[in-house]
Amino acid sequence: MNSPDLPPPPNVSGISLSGTTPYVITANENRELCATLGAPVAANGTAHPIYFFIATQVGMGKSVAGLCAACDFDVEDGPMIASSKVTFSHALMTEQSYWITGEIRGLTRKRSRTLGVMDLLEYVLRLALPDGTPVLETTNVWVLPRRNLA
Amino acid sequence: MSAGAGTTVNGIAVGAELPTYTLGVVEPQSMRLWAGFLRDPNPIHLDPQAVRAKGLGDRVINQGPANLAYVITMLQRAFPGSSLDWLEVRYAGSVFGGDAVEAGGRVGNVAAEESSTKVTCEVWLRANARDIVISGTAVLSLPPADEPTFT
Repeated sequence: MNSPDLPPPPNVSGISLSGTTPYVITANENRELCATLGAPVAANGTAHPIYFFIATQVGMGKSVAGLCAACDFDVEDGPMIASSKVTFSHALMTEQSYWITGEIRGLTRKRSRTLGVMDLLEYVLRLALPDGTPVLETTNVWVLPRRNLA
Repeated sequence: MSAGAGTTVNGIAVGAELPTYTLGVVEPQSMRLWAGFLRDPNPIHLDPQAVRAKGLGDRVINQGPANLAYVITMLQRAFPGSSLDWLEVRYAGSVFGGDAVEAGGRVGNVAAEESSTKVTCEVWLRANARDIVISGTAVLSLPPADEPTFT
């Protein structure tokens, strides 16, 4: 719920974040990523589960800067990720095409002790196989500091 | 079948601490790779001067998803052969270049189902044995043959 003493945030609910091209986790990139983590590379082609975040962020229809711009927020003002939630229906695989759909759920404007005024941006992204089979759904919340309103 | 504190299901004890996973140094070079993985050119991950200019410190800042990946890797090591069903986390702080990080967790619940064992864990990531930078909950499925023993 928005703070009643503040101007309302932009109405961004429902803005589409659906991608226009498929996303593929390459086996090579998965190997590189696992190496940065000290994680084993799965022999059965399973990708590291963190690709839930990477694939949906890269494969959605906007860049992070574009997502911020849709909220009338300059990415240079420092968005901060606050929370992530994901539900998997299937494991992610390398060399498999995935399609991403999603939308912005909304902005909630609040006062913050440390940031003054901030908006909480919530959006949902879904990743599916080309035949539409759901693979995962993730919801992220970002903090957008609104220092000009503090 | 579900278990309460102190009980054990299929070799997994509710309340058991998971083996921690430590990365001794978060390398700035790793952040450069992650900038490519994420297609995220934000200079706070690449250039200490950009971090200083924003008043955020004097070392590059690790990407939040990379921090979360340490937690997931800890779970993969604790439960080889498992699959991640569900995860919810809060990002509570930053990891800087040169920090050491430690991921850990605790078994919160175990439920034996027909084709798998569902394990719910509280998870966390700590930077420099100091601040909690990620906390949350994960649910994993373990195939019966791959059940580890945490007692």
